[in-house]
Amino acid sequence: MAIIEVNNLHKKFNQLHVLKGITTRIEQNEVVVVIGPSGSGKSTFLRCLNFLEIPTSGEIIFEGSVINPNENLNLIRREMGMVFQRFNLFPHMKVIDNITLAPKLVRNIQPDIAVEQGLNLLEKVNLSDKAESFPEQLSGGQQQRVAIARALAMRPKVMLFDEPTSALDPEMIGEVLDVMKSLANEGMTMIVVTHEMGFAREVSDRVIFMDDGLLIEENTPDELFNNPQHPRTQAFLSKIL
Amino acid sequence: MDFRWDLVISSVPLLLQGAWLTIKLTTIAVFFGIILGTLAALLRLTKGPFRYLASIYVDFMRGTPLLVQIFIIYYGIPSITGGQISPSIVDIWPFIAAVIALSINSGAYVAEIVRAGIQAVEKGQSEAALSLGLTPAETMRHIILPQAFRHIVPPLGNEFIALLKDSSLVSAIALEELVRKGQIIVGRTFRPFEVYFVVAILYLIMTVTISRIVSILERRLRVGE
Ligand SMILES: Nc1ncnc2c1ncn2[C@@H]1O[C@H](COP(=O)(O)OP(=O)(O)OP(=O)(O)O)[C@@H](O)[C@H]1O
Ligand SMILES: [Mg+2]
Repeated sequence: MAIIEVNNLHKKFNQLHVLKGITTRIEQNEVVVVIGPSGSGKSTFLRCLNFLEIPTSGEIIFEGSVINPNENLNLIRREMGMVFQRFNLFPHMKVIDNITLAPKLVRNIQPDIAVEQGLNLLEKVNLSDKAESFPEQLSGGQQQRVAIARALAMRPKVMLFDEPTSALDPEMIGEVLDVMKSLANEGMTMIVVTHEMGFAREVSDRVIFMDDGLLIEENTPDELFNNPQHPRTQAFLSKIL
Repeated sequence: MDFRWDLVISSVPLLLQGAWLTIKLTTIAVFFGIILGTLAALLRLTKGPFRYLASIYVDFMRGTPLLVQIFIIYYGIPSITGGQISPSIVDIWPFIAAVIALSINSGAYVAEIVRAGIQAVEKGQSEAALSLGLTPAETMRHIILPQAFRHIVPPLGNEFIALLKDSSLVSAIALEELVRKGQIIVGRTFRPFEVYFVVAILYLIMTVTISRIVSILERRLRVGE
């Protein structure tokens, strides 16, 4: 059974038709990379999956049941971690509190246990010494790794990444991609919007190419990069590779 | 030119009594104003019909003179409740009326301050909180309001100062705050210059003190930003 199924997903912002019928399935443990030109709807697609944007029509099926936008969306969202381009750490909280807030509040984890788990996660993203720092005291790459740890603290079943390295200085991209790679190796189901084609080739099971609100082509990274079928995919890849 | 320093000195004790009442009035009114204003600001952010009620409240209070609002409460409420107020509160009715009028007036300005403070928090903050599974209410309480608070403190200090000065309007309902005390002394001494000079200085001392406290608070809040 697919963990997420997307059926004929449409999203309009007033007159602007951004997603024009996306249908795809995300399997358990799969790492899917989404690529496409700017404005093609990649972020909107990702944000519809956890209902930060409410789809105009179509279905998102999570673990076999259709998500209803009128039910408690927080019940669904807690199962899907999200990492943003601009990190969005909570600036008024220490790193450890950023990580433990949601487990304590949403999952009712005891504070001392939440802290213990939070410290383990910080160790995993190589930031053990930063627990007591405030976000502004960290570099971009460090902030993004905290953001990943914060999302993981909810023990999500899927991780959504929206251009997690695009706001980083080049020398910090590697440390974030490394964390994402080890996460993929552990079997985390991941959907990653990125321009890092190296990551897509090396880590992903499947690459989706989107253009103008449509899923144009999806395939293994080898096939998609070396043997793109659709002229739009060919045109896009010839520009970026 | 004669400036009666002796009058300045002899009027101080009575004026200090008035200043104390001014401080009490303003502090109580700002306290209730913050509660009312925060409620109104949150209501304005909801989708239901209460949002319009909150807007009407804010527009009415900001669009009409405070003096008229004071009269509506002070004279108006007794007149529609049978021409009289209960004997148990008749003595303190001016004080109660003043507190009510100043509180609901201040609440409207605070509502705008709180709303602006909430809107100044980046959208990514609530998205991050929601994506972690927090409810909209938890997001407001743990993520948005604490950050909005930092944007709110400086204008709230200004509102406190404005209200402290505007509270002089309640002298019109014979409440013996600072200005009213001044009027009484002038009535006895016929020396308006000296008396109102001391009144002005006392207001200045109070407003400068508030400014200082607010900037200390601001600096505290900036730690750990
Ligand atoms: N909240 C919104 N309101 C109105 N229009 C929006 C909104 N969010 C996105 N759009 C529009 O939808 C289109 C797709 O945006 P989206 O952010 O999904 O593209 P993207 O593929 O992620 O682009 P990029 O690579 O630049 O991040 C764009 O034209 C954008 O302006
Ligand atoms: Mg995007």
